[in-house]
Amino acid sequence: MRNIVYIVVQILVIMLVSPLVNGIIRKVKAFSQKRKGAPLLQMYFDLFKLFKKNSVVSDVSSWAFKVTPYIFFSTALAAALLVPVSTIVTPQEIPGDIIMLVSVLALGRFFMMIAALDTASTFGGMGSSREAMISSLIEPSILVSLFTVGLICQSTSMQQMMEAMKGTGIPLFHPVYIMVFLALFTIILAETSRIPVDDPATHLELTMVHEAMLLEYSGRHLALMELGAAIKQLVFITVLVNLIFPHDQLIAITGISAVVLSLFLYLMKVIFISIAIAFAEVFTVKFRFFSIPNLAALSFILSFLGFLQYFVLGGSNV
Amino acid sequence: MKIFSASALFQTSILLYLLAAIAALVFIKQQKWDNIISNIICIIAAIFGIAASLMKILVEDMPINISIFHSTIPFISVELRIDHLSAFFVLSLSLLVVCVSLYSIGYISHYIGKRKVGLFNFLYSAFILSMFLVMTSGNAVFFLLTWEAMSLLSYFLVVFESEHEENQAAGTLYIIMTHVGTAFLMVGFMMMYSYTQSFDMFGSSADIPILAKNAMFIMFLIGFGTKAGVIPFHIWLPCAHPAAPSNVSALMSGIMIKTAIYGMLRFIFTYLGVQSTWWGALIIVLGIFSSTLGVSYAFVMANIKKLLAYSSIENIGIIFIGLGIGFIAQAQGHLTVSALAIIASLFHSFNHTLFKGSLFLGAGSIQYATHTKNMEELGGLIKKMPLTALFVLGGALSAASIVPFNGFIGEWLTYQSLFANIVPGQAALNILSILSVAVLAMTGAMAAASFVKLFGISFLGLPRSEQALQAKEVPCVMNIGTGILVTLCLFIGLFPLPILKVVDKVVLNLMGTSLIGQLQGGLLIAYYPLQISGNVISPLLFFVVLVAVILFALLVIRIIGGKYSERKYGTWDCGFEALNSRMQYSAAGFSNPIEIVFKILFRPSRKLKVEGKLAYHPESIEYTTVWESIFEKHLYNPIFYVIKMLSRRTKFIIQTGSIHSYLLYIFVVVLVLMMYNTFV
Repeated sequence: MRNIVYIVVQILVIMLVSPLVNGIIRKVKAFSQKRKGAPLLQMYFDLFKLFKKNSVVSDVSSWAFKVTPYIFFSTALAAALLVPVSTIVTPQEIPGDIIMLVSVLALGRFFMMIAALDTASTFGGMGSSREAMISSLIEPSILVSLFTVGLICQSTSMQQMMEAMKGTGIPLFHPVYIMVFLALFTIILAETSRIPVDDPATHLELTMVHEAMLLEYSGRHLALMELGAAIKQLVFITVLVNLIFPHDQLIAITGISAVVLSLFLYLMKVIFISIAIAFAEVFTVKFRFFSIPNLAALSFILSFLGFLQYFVLGGSNV
Repeated sequence: MKIFSASALFQTSILLYLLAAIAALVFIKQQKWDNIISNIICIIAAIFGIAASLMKILVEDMPINISIFHSTIPFISVELRIDHLSAFFVLSLSLLVVCVSLYSIGYISHYIGKRKVGLFNFLYSAFILSMFLVMTSGNAVFFLLTWEAMSLLSYFLVVFESEHEENQAAGTLYIIMTHVGTAFLMVGFMMMYSYTQSFDMFGSSADIPILAKNAMFIMFLIGFGTKAGVIPFHIWLPCAHPAAPSNVSALMSGIMIKTAIYGMLRFIFTYLGVQSTWWGALIIVLGIFSSTLGVSYAFVMANIKKLLAYSSIENIGIIFIGLGIGFIAQAQGHLTVSALAIIASLFHSFNHTLFKGSLFLGAGSIQYATHTKNMEELGGLIKKMPLTALFVLGGALSAASIVPFNGFIGEWLTYQSLFANIVPGQAALNILSILSVAVLAMTGAMAAASFVKLFGISFLGLPRSEQALQAKEVPCVMNIGTGILVTLCLFIGLFPLPILKVVDKVVLNLMGTSLIGQLQGGLLIAYYPLQISGNVISPLLFFVVLVAVILFALLVIRIIGGKYSERKYGTWDCGFEALNSRMQYSAAGFSNPIEIVFKILFRPSRKLKVEGKLAYHPESIEYTTVWESIFEKHLYNPIFYVIKMLSRRTKFIIQTGSIHSYLLYIFVVVLVLMMYNTFV
């Protein structure tokens, strides 16, 4: 029963909130440019419309192109099941941890990259090749920063880590978590194709990475890819907010109202981080492609310093 | 002797391999039958090998001693001793041999009438037998003999297609490097004998002083490291593995380099015993270099088999990281962590046998169908060779350590052993461990990228050459061989526990510590989690979720969007003329960003040759990139130079060619020996 409730809550929250995050980021960016911008719920309308449209499929492509949207979407959703939105609605144990989370997302990325090569389009190859570089460079800092938190919490399971983080008071008062927070924030920008790494709004071949891989998709396939990407973005945001800003220790009540309150607090945190991401996009410019290694190195160094502070320089005694 | 004992099964297996080798020579005139008969005997032998090793590990606890030949001349006795560790490696070997031999029945058929098939099959069976004996030999001298036989037989197989000059060069490099490695092993064995008066590697090493043990460790590390292809002793591997016929490459990459892992566990871990922490640290450092550099080189290769060869270096690096943690934890007395790490590396070594075997067989199928190994001439094969494509995709996912394939489980266990190895306070080890985590992460992502490249460029898109356009699916028997391996990869990925229990028994026998209490698994059907120190994963459940979500998505989309209809249309070409295959991304283009980022590793020099009068519409453009081979240039060339210089100098001083001085040398030597015997 607990497991079913968990799965239902998790899927509903993640699927409903993820397009909203994109809406908020676009709205904030529009305001910063003195525009009114599209409605907050625009992505829902887009998805709904795309689902109803027919698909155009390249005549060069094979089955790899058609199965990819389903695999990409389902890996994103499976990854979402590994990262609880609230510690109140959780099962006994989630059979998956941060290492599996990374591997699950890698499965989706693998298929997205081969699908981009499947249509024999130059754009696809370009996006795929760039994604290969970015993912290779950012992966070490994802695992090192998650490992650092995991080692402090004595578990690699996201659920156990969240439970342990509830007892740490305000994590951001400890230097480890400041480093991990900054590293994770940079990772979010890179993994979710945000400026300064990639520009989600562009279709210019010189700059696009993620969009280049989706270029041949249309109709329901495109909708699945877009929704999958949005879910993946929310998964990363959830990892960040639920580790560094734990909220369930604040809730004194129990029962169904506690669940509602917990989800409400979660939503507030997600909105806060979405606005922060939007500000990061507004105040930075897109990096030259070969400057991305510097950003990845920065992120890695931050997570590594966090680790050093706690496990080598005696931060655990503070 | 009981008929159904592991010992009898092992002996039957060995005799059958001998029979296969003899049959290959007997039927040398009827090439077609020669091929079928010797390969089928190999398959039967391997099936006996699987049965024997499983029986040994699961049922019989005492080591098996088989004395084949005991001579009165000291040290020269042929005796086998099979314990759990030997049996485990024989299990990997036999599993691979079943599939590779099935594959060979089809693959070698294109040699019929063109090459000496009988000779090839003789070498092939003898090579398998030599690896079998390396894993089961009972004393160090016999080990060395079989080790040498293995090296020589594989050399002949590497240069089998000897009409290509690069194959000969690869063979020469291989035989030199492998003998340098063997020389180090011999020094190690001599030291072993001089301290213990025995070549018995199952005996005690208590008489050896600690300093000598350290020296022997270095000797064994270099000796076995050369065979394993660990960086910086790897230079032969990316040349020799691609040069050999693909079924031999599968054996070399899949299992021959693992004999080095066996040797390290046998001679260093159990015989010498782990004496200090720096041993493990050194092994981890080698592992870190091998995995990062190996995968970086793999990513930029356009030759499929070279890519796979470098990927083997990467995987050996991951196995070394696991071994290193095992050594460190053993030295510090954390036996459970040590057991976990050794389990992780043995398990990864087993998995690597399966997926690298399947990938090399897949590469062989591509070569069989298109006569090329160069990705730049391939493309669009998924439509011509659908089964091969599916199997290569499976092998690639496994090699990229992606769930739900077996590569992921091995890597997960390695991560868990690193996790268990980090405790606040121990500075150097913590830094080494977290660097290993970072390296594993980067290696995983880059391996995925390399296999996206391999699969995407070779199988997807438009054909880049006439051969790729004309390609046809390979014979069924070849696909069965590859298919079994890939199915095993997926199956072990979903149900890792049966194999892990086997590995656990091996480690229990090896070091007396078991993890079976922590390796918990639920019911086979309902829920199959794998649990290590409280961390749980269930690849099976993930797979079920994946399928359920896909079905759910299909259903929801059907409700919202109605019936699916699609229109076939050309790929977007920006409104210009029709696309052609040369506008696709090439293999070189795909890996170019990484090549630029890591240019310190590759030091590429590029040449652009444009022909034609019009600047913007040239007739032809030729682009070549040459990578500087750093290890050859900065490590091996200076060494060779010094050796060459010294030998030239000594040539003029000592070897003058005059018979008088040679007589003088003999006289002086005899004199010195006599004086030595008198005075000392």
